Amino acid sequence: MLDTGLVLYSAAFGLILIGIAGIVLSAHLVRIIFGVALLEAGANLLLLLATWREGASAPIIVAGRVPEFMADPVPQALVLTAIVIGVGILALALSLALRVQRAYGTLDMHEVRQRMEQEIADQAGIDMPASSHAPAAVQAARQEGSA
Amino acid sequence: MRRLSSALFLLGLGLLIAAIFKGMEFGTVAPIAGQLINSAAAEQVGAANFVTSVVLGYRGFDTLLELTILFTAATAGGLVLGKRAPNAKRDPDAGFILQAGADLLFPLLVVVGVYIILHGHLTPGGGFQGGVILASAFFIPMLARPGTPMSHTAVSTIEGLAGACFIFIGLLAMFDGEAFLTPLMDKGELGALLSAGSLPLLYLAVGLKVGSELAGLLAHLSESEAVD
Amino acid sequence: MNQLALLVALPLITAFLLPVINRVSTFAARWTGPLVLVITSAIGISFWPQLGDSAVAIELGGFRPPLGITLYADKMALLFALATSIGTLLLWPSRGEDKLRQSTLALILAGSGSGLALSGDLFNIYVFYELVAVVSYGLIAARSTAGSFAATVRYLIVSSFGAALALTGIALVYQATGTLNLAQLSQLAPTHLNNLQGLAAFVLMLIGFGVKAELFPVNTWVPEVYATAPTRISGLLAGVVSKLALLIIVRLLVLIFHQPEALTVMLVLGILGVVTGELAAWRARDFNRMIAFSSIGQLGIMFIAFSIPGEAGVFAGLAVALHHLVVKPAMFLLAERWQGSLANLAGAARTSPLGAALFILLALSLIGVPPLPGFWAKLLVMINLVAQENSLYMLGAWVIMGGAALEANYLFRVASSFYHRTDEQTPPAAHRPGDLATASLLGAGLVASAFLIMPLADEIEGVASQAADKNHYVQTVNPEQLP
Repeated sequence: MLDTGLVLYSAAFGLILIGIAGIVLSAHLVRIIFGVALLEAGANLLLLLATWREGASAPIIVAGRVPEFMADPVPQALVLTAIVIGVGILALALSLALRVQRAYGTLDMHEVRQRMEQEIADQAGIDMPASSHAPAAVQAARQEGSA
Repeated sequence: MRRLSSALFLLGLGLLIAAIFKGMEFGTVAPIAGQLINSAAAEQVGAANFVTSVVLGYRGFDTLLELTILFTAATAGGLVLGKRAPNAKRDPDAGFILQAGADLLFPLLVVVGVYIILHGHLTPGGGFQGGVILASAFFIPMLARPGTPMSHTAVSTIEGLAGACFIFIGLLAMFDGEAFLTPLMDKGELGALLSAGSLPLLYLAVGLKVGSELAGLLAHLSESEAVD
Repeated sequence: MNQLALLVALPLITAFLLPVINRVSTFAARWTGPLVLVITSAIGISFWPQLGDSAVAIELGGFRPPLGITLYADKMALLFALATSIGTLLLWPSRGEDKLRQSTLALILAGSGSGLALSGDLFNIYVFYELVAVVSYGLIAARSTAGSFAATVRYLIVSSFGAALALTGIALVYQATGTLNLAQLSQLAPTHLNNLQGLAAFVLMLIGFGVKAELFPVNTWVPEVYATAPTRISGLLAGVVSKLALLIIVRLLVLIFHQPEALTVMLVLGILGVVTGELAAWRARDFNRMIAFSSIGQLGIMFIAFSIPGEAGVFAGLAVALHHLVVKPAMFLLAERWQGSLANLAGAARTSPLGAALFILLALSLIGVPPLPGFWAKLLVMINLVAQENSLYMLGAWVIMGGAALEANYLFRVASSFYHRTDEQTPPAAHRPGDLATASLLGAGLVASAFLIMPLADEIEGVASQAADKNHYVQTVNPEQLP
């Protein structure tokens, strides 16, 4: 069958690639956040695999018996930390998404970005240059405002 | 246009990853820290679970920072979500199955959570894992009965005091002239419940902190007003 | 020397206890934070004379590296740890709602920033970096406007993306060497990391940690965040936090990654940063974003400087970094009242004469006019760039000069509008005395260093040579080898 190491490493790099694809290609904020979560999962898996050896047993002494070939405990502790960090950031990201949804009524990041720039420009009291990339809703509002 | 350039970027990234992948040598380098820890952990720290001895002993500083990140995320989340309007409508209570299930699950989850926390130095598990189970134990009743909200004062007090306990135990070693976060107390017999010095105490603090923090954060998220 | 861990532990324990203290007494909760930071800064300052010529390594938990984590305190690390404590104290968040949470976050920022400067373990650095990131997300969103939430979430996405890339780089390093201790990595680097995997790991970590250092191309967050965040937080982020991120990259370069390609990547990204930053600042039409883009340009200059090989690069980059550390927060303090369109700033000298004078002083130093310290810093960079006798470094020198010309143009466009006589337009309000006092303090420091430039330069050169000394680092930490 396939070499276990190859499968595991492909899984790690694959998750990283899918996560980056999700962040770069998605427009919806929740999908982007899922992309970040996948990317972090891939990076965590890669860290665990760094000193992985086939056939190693868990580094725990059970009933006084010391296993002969123990796995490396350090990446396990590192990934524990990294997962908790990821959870904290995910919770904060979702709280922010909630407030963005409440403030703008939408989670389409292209539209949110345009409206944020508009808001910054309005607060500063300057005109924002018209951009052809603006989504339809924002362009319609702009035309209404100038008409 | 944006899609095309993004797709090209991803393709290039994939090729780069493949190139790095080919050049990586697997299984040849010895994990220096890992091997040293595996041979020394039993006498130096006294915990049967070597991963716990890394998390709380050798890399206790990382764990302290991890706790701080959770605390910061909860604090920032509270700042972002803001206060709930005093007369905002609450969701209706859940149906009979969820209420009865929550009442049944609550004691079970608390027992399992505390068990995992207390045995962190003997079996896989520990403060973080047990703390998350405790958090879900305190959150599920909130899902079943949104009308009776959690007391945020109790949660934040436990959270703050548990975190301060962790740092305080670490600082105690400094009064003896040793470095910050040196494990204290007698190491005891390997594999017994009361072993590994101050490590079970540290994990208890971690478990309480994580449990109260996540429960508070989840409660905050679920209590924030619904968008009409 | 174990007390050095207090620089991290003391602010953190106070932050944990702040909600509890707040229940007992609100007055105590308001003043505990600044008080603890004063104590922490005092402890840090007391260490400075003890450092002398040799650095100090502290083994946390009493475990020898690489089993445990070490804190490495040379003069550069202590300097930036002190800058974080004192900077957070000077720029303590004073506006906005929910002051309790903001104070908690500010304390954690001080503790984690100090730790980031002092840490000697690669994964520990990553965790500190993430901690600083999460704290900044909370502080940026403190104004609770719709724009600030959108800017924060976009910043969160870019920063998390970068952090995951950095973690991938750390995984590659660990896979190649089997250790995470910086000193041991320094010993193993020539044999284990001198290949494509090592270079890939460096680029990943450069981009990952470069998000906070406003590196091109991951600096898209900068104008939005600095326009919507409270100005004191912007000052802290642009002044202090970006330098901490830069410090990590410099440590990685000095200790571990000696490939010339690594320096080339930094040089190219630095040049791009200066070009894009200064051009965007020139075209900016509101004050906050103008100085935000200007800081991108200045950080680009720092990246160019640090890409010069050897001790000269560290000295030049450190000089520019320390200068920016003082100037940028002062500018952001002045921005508190001057936010908004540049056209609205006409006649500001009438309502705030000291503010206008301070702005001119800061602008002169940024552009690089003698005898202000900014001139000496830029001169150092230019001399060392030209001395490389390499066309890419010469391009860097030309770009910096072009950037200085642009800076002179846009900064003096604004400064001269302060003194316009306009009767139709009401000038902006005067600065608050607190902001003005802190900005004046920083300005006074700038002038004082202009008078003391020679002894100061010697001191900074000492700091740089100690920081660039790889062997001293490895000998001080003295990691344990495999039998």
